[in-house]
Amino acid sequence: MARRSGTVAVAALVAVLVLLPLLRLGQVLWQESDGAPLRALGSAGLGTAGRHTLVLAVAVTLASVPVGVSLALVLRRADLPGRAFWRAAVLLPIVVPDFVLGYSWTQAYARAGFTDTLLGVSWPGLLGPVGVWLVLVVNAAPLVYLVVAVGLAARAEPDGERAARISGAGSRTALVTITLRLLLPAVAASSVLVFVLTLATFAVPQVLGAPAGFETVTTRIYADLSIGGNPASFREALTLALLLVLVTAACVAPADALLAPRLRTVRPADPQAARSVPGRPGALRAQAAVLGSYLFLTTALPLAALVLSSVTRALGVPPTPANWSLDHYRQVLTPRTLEAFGRSLGLAVVAASLLVLLGGLVAVGERSRSGRATATLVTLTLVLPGSTLAVALLLAYGRWLSGTLALILLAYLAKLWAFAHRPIAGALDRLPADELRAARVSGAGPLTAVRTVALRPLAPALLGAWLICCLTALHEVTMSSLLYGPGSETLAVVVLNSQELGRIGPTAALSVLLSLVVAVPALLLWAGAARLRTRDAVPAPEPARVG
Amino acid sequence: MTTETAGGAARKTGRGPRRRTALGAVLLLAVAACGGQSRGQEPARSLTLYTCLSDESIQPIITAFQGRDDGGHVDLFRAPTGELNARVAADARSGGLKADVIWGCDPLTVQAFVDQHLVGGWTPSDADAIPAQFRTEDYVGAHILYMVAVYRTDVPAPTSWADLAGGDYQALAVPDPSVAASALGALGWFAAEPRYGVGFYADLERAGAVQVKTPDDVTTGVAQGLYDAGITTATSAYAAKDDGSPVDVVWPEPGAVAIYGPVALATHSARSDVAKSFISFVVGADGQKVLAESGSYPTLPGVGGPPVPDGAPIVSPDWAAVGADKDAILAEYRRIFGG
Repeated sequence: MARRSGTVAVAALVAVLVLLPLLRLGQVLWQESDGAPLRALGSAGLGTAGRHTLVLAVAVTLASVPVGVSLALVLRRADLPGRAFWRAAVLLPIVVPDFVLGYSWTQAYARAGFTDTLLGVSWPGLLGPVGVWLVLVVNAAPLVYLVVAVGLAARAEPDGERAARISGAGSRTALVTITLRLLLPAVAASSVLVFVLTLATFAVPQVLGAPAGFETVTTRIYADLSIGGNPASFREALTLALLLVLVTAACVAPADALLAPRLRTVRPADPQAARSVPGRPGALRAQAAVLGSYLFLTTALPLAALVLSSVTRALGVPPTPANWSLDHYRQVLTPRTLEAFGRSLGLAVVAASLLVLLGGLVAVGERSRSGRATATLVTLTLVLPGSTLAVALLLAYGRWLSGTLALILLAYLAKLWAFAHRPIAGALDRLPADELRAARVSGAGPLTAVRTVALRPLAPALLGAWLICCLTALHEVTMSSLLYGPGSETLAVVVLNSQELGRIGPTAALSVLLSLVVAVPALLLWAGAARLRTRDAVPAPEPARVG
Repeated sequence: MTTETAGGAARKTGRGPRRRTALGAVLLLAVAACGGQSRGQEPARSLTLYTCLSDESIQPIITAFQGRDDGGHVDLFRAPTGELNARVAADARSGGLKADVIWGCDPLTVQAFVDQHLVGGWTPSDADAIPAQFRTEDYVGAHILYMVAVYRTDVPAPTSWADLAGGDYQALAVPDPSVAASALGALGWFAAEPRYGVGFYADLERAGAVQVKTPDDVTTGVAQGLYDAGITTATSAYAAKDDGSPVDVVWPEPGAVAIYGPVALATHSARSDVAKSFISFVVGADGQKVLAESGSYPTLPGVGGPPVPDGAPIVSPDWAAVGADKDAILAEYRRIFGG
């Protein structure tokens, strides 16, 4: 009965959040192009933009998944020096909004940036396809890390690894045959997320790709919407957006249908101690050194550039204390922005909480074939660029909800559903029915049984999904700037409307404030998750070191 | 959290029937709990304004208008041109345009709305005071963006546009005319000017120019030191200079290119007195003064405004020609900057 109503609810929400908006886009396009939507694709250079987008998505996925998995495996070691600090530092790029990422990298590494000023070394390739790729990889890696880390927390089998090592397997063999094998669902989930997010990415190619003439489908859509306001370019924007949806469907549907069920295993729900086989101190120190250098170059320097910009009175003056000022913070902290912040925070919390519920429902439903189709469906709105998703929602519901917070909330739910679903799916296993039954037989009510048996191992994944949705919603700008009305301005809308987006100082200040607002509770939550994971952990006996 | 939570469910009624899906109602309730704004009775005289002007420029205008006898309440939707276009396009396909007045940042966009019969058909009777090159029968220019040269103070100042391609600069930036209408206006003017032509952009490219997306990106890049000089709007270049960035501004010969921002009445609001009063106010002497004081360049002569150097040359593109030749000019331009 409960399952039935869950299925009905998910089906209804898929219709409201995904199908109806997409169908309205398709319908408008069909009507206005006289039944030949592809004719809307007249102008030059589209093929190139499409190729760039696909190659970029594949290249970013191929590079960021190994990086993210390595981060998760290294940071899993409790005996890694400075582990708590590294675990927080790795996640920092997630709190930086996309629209200042490109800037922070140019400020760190391009002409007249940090390295140029201090060492006389700059990297011209940053403003081009390779730069776009690298920045996207570095910023996708924390997402992969998060998905894989929560997967590890729920699925790791230290006993299995120990058994393998004791039976004579080398550490590499144990890694490949036990640890990575168990991680496959999380790896698959994060690969899908990164692939789709890269298809949809806009701000980084816009800033770093433009100087090299590197166009993608999303920058093309933005150009179509920006220039002229005529129906022909609007049609082209819609066509391109729907092509992105088709490409996503073509790539993700087979993966979801064929791969997902094969990756799962039936496992007992009891999360084992996450403590893994200890490593050699030398190897650990080397790992910490590599990790530290990686984070210094990819996270610390660009973020330092951002923080310094927020306190430096103008662009292009040296970021020395003589030039420091809090003007940018004063511009950002006004009564209007504080009111909007309350609204954004409320929206983000409501959206993230609903999303975890929705994501969990889809993940649970993946046992059936139709459930796996649902998993693919909710990914389709993730690939729509914010501008076109907002247009789709206006087309579907604008008549009644235009300018309301409800429409912005719908947009967040539609955009981030897959964001919540994939991390949960990556951690979920088919629980043996016996455990739930045992709980029921022992007198637990249905809710208690689910909470104590099924939800317990999933807690880190649920928290991770909640966190990432909340963060993304908090600094979302494209959709809210298109959907807001009187009384529903979000924080980013108020800050970015006061001045043009090109003003780096206030935008940097906003990012820093958001990072602080987010980092503190995030760290608390993360610590909470770690405690949940290890509370029941039985101290494992020191295994005999073999080989 | 804001303090205004209780009773926060009363919100914009919109033009459509007050029908809500059950889901919409549930979500509304959920969101009302996280801070909405209580909006009492809609004032009798109110209008909805869509604009791409920044808050810094538009808020003083709205405040001044609301304080006038012939004024009224203004509901504002402000967004960059791309988002503004998308909202208008979505409105037009879901129950009709929800704005009574559109105040755009370039004539091409507003002309496209006229061609779709969304706006136009009325201008104030005293619009004649605005120079003829800044108005048509459907809309009147209310503010101007000037495309000028911005350069770093550690390189020589250009005096003409041609100087930018003269070899004094290692790295130059131009805004993308397929994204920013102001950049397209400049391209259109250069293309039609015999001494320049689209070939001017080829000269720039050979001199080390790259294309970035918007004029603001040009200003940021030059201020940051990524580029030595570039083509951008006077407003953003002066803002960077005023902040203290090591940049300066030149209005090069034969002239800074003027891009005007037209204000137009929505066709469905043809009988709205308050919308018409708003437009009259904005292009009249009072409104133009408020605009000038808030840092935008007004279209009405003699009102003042942000700095224009003495004797600074100014030129205007032929917008009808730019609109008609857009695709051909852009195609020629793309052969130079790719993309």
